[in-house]
Amino acid sequence: MATIELKNISHSYQMDRREEIPIPQDCNLDQGFVIKDLSLTWEEGSANALLGPSGCGKTTILNIISGLLQPTIGQILYDGKDVTALSPEARHIAQVFQFPVIYDTMTVYKNLSFPLRNAGVKKSEIKRKVQEVAEILDLTHVLPMSAGKISQAEKQKVSLGRGIIRDDNVAILFDEPLTVIDPKEKYILQRKIREVQKNIKLTAIYVTHDQHEALTFADQVTVIKDGRMIQTGNPAQLHTDPQSPFIGYFIGSPGMNLLTCTLEEDVLDFGEFQWPLSPAIRQALQTDDPEFQFGIRPEFVALSHEKKAGTVPFEATMVDNIGSYQVVTLSTNGIQIKGRAPEDMRIDVGNRLWVGFPEESVRIFQNDKRVF
Amino acid sequence: MGIIVEHVSKSYEGTPILSDISLEIKDGEFVTFLAPTGEGKTTLLRIIAGVETPDSGRIYYNDVDVTDWPVQKKNVAMVYQWFVNYPSLTVYENIATPLRVLKQKLSRSQLDQRVRETAALLKIDGLLDHHPSELSGGQQQRLAIARSLAKRADYVFLDEPLTNLDYKLQEELRAELKNIFGQKAEGAVIFATPQPIEALALSTQVGFLHNGRLLQFGPVDDVYHKPLYMEVGAYFSHPEMNIFKCALTSENGHQFLKATDQLKLAVDAFQGLLTDSHYMVGIRAHALSTERESEKMIPIKATVELGEVVGSDTELHIDHQGISLVSLLQGMGGYDIGQEITVYLNPERFFIFDESSGKLVGQTHVELNR
Repeated sequence: MATIELKNISHSYQMDRREEIPIPQDCNLDQGFVIKDLSLTWEEGSANALLGPSGCGKTTILNIISGLLQPTIGQILYDGKDVTALSPEARHIAQVFQFPVIYDTMTVYKNLSFPLRNAGVKKSEIKRKVQEVAEILDLTHVLPMSAGKISQAEKQKVSLGRGIIRDDNVAILFDEPLTVIDPKEKYILQRKIREVQKNIKLTAIYVTHDQHEALTFADQVTVIKDGRMIQTGNPAQLHTDPQSPFIGYFIGSPGMNLLTCTLEEDVLDFGEFQWPLSPAIRQALQTDDPEFQFGIRPEFVALSHEKKAGTVPFEATMVDNIGSYQVVTLSTNGIQIKGRAPEDMRIDVGNRLWVGFPEESVRIFQNDKRVF
Repeated sequence: MGIIVEHVSKSYEGTPILSDISLEIKDGEFVTFLAPTGEGKTTLLRIIAGVETPDSGRIYYNDVDVTDWPVQKKNVAMVYQWFVNYPSLTVYENIATPLRVLKQKLSRSQLDQRVRETAALLKIDGLLDHHPSELSGGQQQRLAIARSLAKRADYVFLDEPLTNLDYKLQEELRAELKNIFGQKAEGAVIFATPQPIEALALSTQVGFLHNGRLLQFGPVDDVYHKPLYMEVGAYFSHPEMNIFKCALTSENGHQFLKATDQLKLAVDAFQGLLTDSHYMVGIRAHALSTERESEKMIPIKATVELGEVVGSDTELHIDHQGISLVSLLQGMGGYDIGQEITVYLNPERFFIFDESSGKLVGQTHVELNR
């Protein structure tokens, strides 16, 4: 395994390879580029995810990493060594695709041993390795079976097994690996992938459009939108410290409340109410442009039936009791936010609730960037 | 006024799908049939709507037997899991077409107004000139819902309308469905879903189907807080309820339901009710915490299996002496496979089910103030 680094990667399907870095003077990334100046490091043995809606450029990045595609601009480094010009075969990257890629007519044993037989490994060594990998993946009992007869999740484990059976792979890529898996088997496979990654310290890159899968698998998640990296961080950072309103909304459910407001003296003015600023926040909002976006996650909105210092009255316009907690929609004169209440707090539609925004949970954005 | 379903049964090629289903739907209700895939939800929905006929049993709309009526004769509308729209017609024409065949003819301006109002309600009024292929999945399903709404049918049937949308769209459209159908003064909405969270968020009444039988049917809060069968409690939870086997034991004059030396529940309060040697005990994931919120909480030692992120929460899968449990925690991250932790169970959130019949025997659940 190795540390993999993407350095100033940009890609346009209409342009030939350029050697200048980071961006040649005659290139405009907003014209024809599907990947825009992406720089990222995946440390050896780490669990990583690329997360983004369909069409964001994830597949292009995958193909650039595996060597199927030469990026227009930028370099790929393994442990600091430039491999941009290497063929896919020479890159030693294992892949697990959406659909299990295995030979249905061969036994599971033959499938797992295939990459080793191709590489001319000794028979006794092959046997030892296959048994070891089968053990890790809970496949021992199906080794003699025809691969066409096992479940989709087991097939996907065989794909993974073929990826990890060789010692010379530098990384393993997972491309939406749970897509065709039966919901009942998803958890088992998800857990197994994570366990294998951790125990044998794979450098793993998991590509998906599914927030839950990415945040469950990875220690480092990179969110991609329109070919650009929006934010990289661990799940807790993306959740509590979004660097843009998009991340605030995209990560978590319900997404972050985002309200437009204006800075006036030392308050944020929402029209209907004002939110007093502490000196620390006031300091951070030094700017000519008084328009801001105020963000707070529903679970941090403080709700009370009684008036408390610093709270604002809202009306509960919808209450979704989803069992473990309630999601409350709160409105006041055109301003709408969501809050989360414990299961035993009695709230009826039409109730007036006093709403507080604890300062430590407030995030403030301007022009799509976090300013506090 | 409403729908009465009386002793409905249905089989396909000798396999029973629905057995003796009876229930009543009153106007103004939002009724959800909840069950995993393959339990006959869709079949029941189609029989009540009149798209299929039952092998036996009757369906009444407003006290009129409609069992053998063709579906066209009834004022019903359906929305399916797969977005069904006319690909060659614009969004406007997709909504307008069903209105042109209504028995009560609409004038041109009435029709135009109806189309625009409905489109606005579903937030597709900016797309009236587009064709369905130019719409996103979420917009296509909005259009399908708009078409079913524009008719102002008495009964609207929704068959897993959110299933094929990604989770952000599900979240948005779920809230909107509640808004839209909450305003429905006449008639009722009948909804089928495998998702407990949708049943909880949307319904007034919930029916749980299991092996072709309607195991429980009633107001959503009743079914959720007092599941009469283990199968209902297990499935109608978000995430699924933890259920494990316990032996009834006596220690120092007190009775316990005991799974392990740590996982045991004092049950003196149920004296006389518990007569078997073993029971199945259930507790929902949000009643398991990594923080000791009160002295009464029951501590158990466990190993982390996986921290599964769902929405803004983590479903922490743990192993306690061979028993798999899930704890629902707010926030995400911070736990890894193999980590040893202590988890605390709220003793006031347990359900006790009969081991063989699965029937609810008792619960330590304090009645919630709702």
